[in-house]
Amino acid sequence: MSKLMSTLSHSIGAALLLLAATSVWAEKPSFNLEIREHLFTPSELRVPANTKIKLWVYNRDSTPEEFESYELNREKVVLGGQKALLFIGPLPAGEYPFFGEFNPKSAQGKIIAE
Amino acid sequence: MLLTSVVIIIREVLEAALLISILLSMCRQLGVSQAWFKWGVLAGLLGSVGYGQQMGSISSAMGGVGQELSDAGIQLLIYLCLLYSCQQLVFYLNRRQSLNSILFVVMALAIALAVIREGSEIYIYLSAFQGNQESRLGLYSGAAIGLGIGFSFCALFYYWLLSFSPRRAVFFGSMLLTLVAGGMILQGCKMLIQADYLPDGQAWDSSGFLPEDGLPGQLLYAMVGYEATPAPAQVAIYVFAIAVMLATLTLRYRAGINAASPTKPDEQ
Repeated sequence: MSKLMSTLSHSIGAALLLLAATSVWAEKPSFNLEIREHLFTPSELRVPANTKIKLWVYNRDSTPEEFESYELNREKVVLGGQKALLFIGPLPAGEYPFFGEFNPKSAQGKIIAE
Repeated sequence: MLLTSVVIIIREVLEAALLISILLSMCRQLGVSQAWFKWGVLAGLLGSVGYGQQMGSISSAMGGVGQELSDAGIQLLIYLCLLYSCQQLVFYLNRRQSLNSILFVVMALAIALAVIREGSEIYIYLSAFQGNQESRLGLYSGAAIGLGIGFSFCALFYYWLLSFSPRRAVFFGSMLLTLVAGGMILQGCKMLIQADYLPDGQAWDSSGFLPEDGLPGQLLYAMVGYEATPAPAQVAIYVFAIAVMLATLTLRYRAGINAASPTKPDEQ
């Protein structure tokens, strides 16, 4: 089943890649977040407003976490010891809270676009 | 731990539960076999474990956006499966010919995919935190409560649809499935935006009036994919997907009536 799923995802991905051939991947500024002991560091991440950014979330814990934000419309599972990529923005200036869905009490932070 | 796991499990279970209960109820109302259902759930549960275990390699595929792309692919497939199943059932309402076995495969596939999508996240969550002795009790009791509430919703919708006449039940069921299928497209587009395959933006902000993290917002999110701040591309594709499904269902309803004439469709 998983083989089928990955073949499926690859073929769908390939089709989508053609659609997105115009998007430029390399030029977007890149930012890092770390998860340690179910906490995000930095808990406040400053990014440029009105710019699309690449956000790398590094999970240094052994347990998975789900990066989630209602304000940013983002959700992504980051397995223990792995990193995940999310594209964010372009954001109008403002504050955008995010949290870890698996540890919502401790894992909180915000992105500040300015 | 208890409350967190209740919330996580409910959020995941509700969406698949709604889809399953509507399809099952429509089949029951139309006297269509429900035997396909168990195969869909079984495939979904096995697939959840497989998909959950492969999440690491899926996630790092396609330059780090493999998770988004496979998720969006699954959601598009669920939309197509629901479109196919629903139009067959709507046609069958008026024209009771013998049903093609493809319908049963497609309905089982819709359920399997819905279960995989939600089940894999539950699998990842439960398998990661069950090693922790002190939180294990909270984790499992939370999961049990969440599953219980999810299944109660499933039963509620199932019997609610059974309480109508077949014609009404198929109508309400089709409308609900259209919303569920549209929600899949809405969430699939969100994944494509996150992977930078569709442009981001904000069409409107209804978070003041119906916040996504409030209870009604959470329920609507789980059931029909509600977003308080959707992107314009998301809204456009959503409207298109809903329009295609409504138009198809209307045409197939009429085709069923025409195929059944000159005998008038029985009102039951």
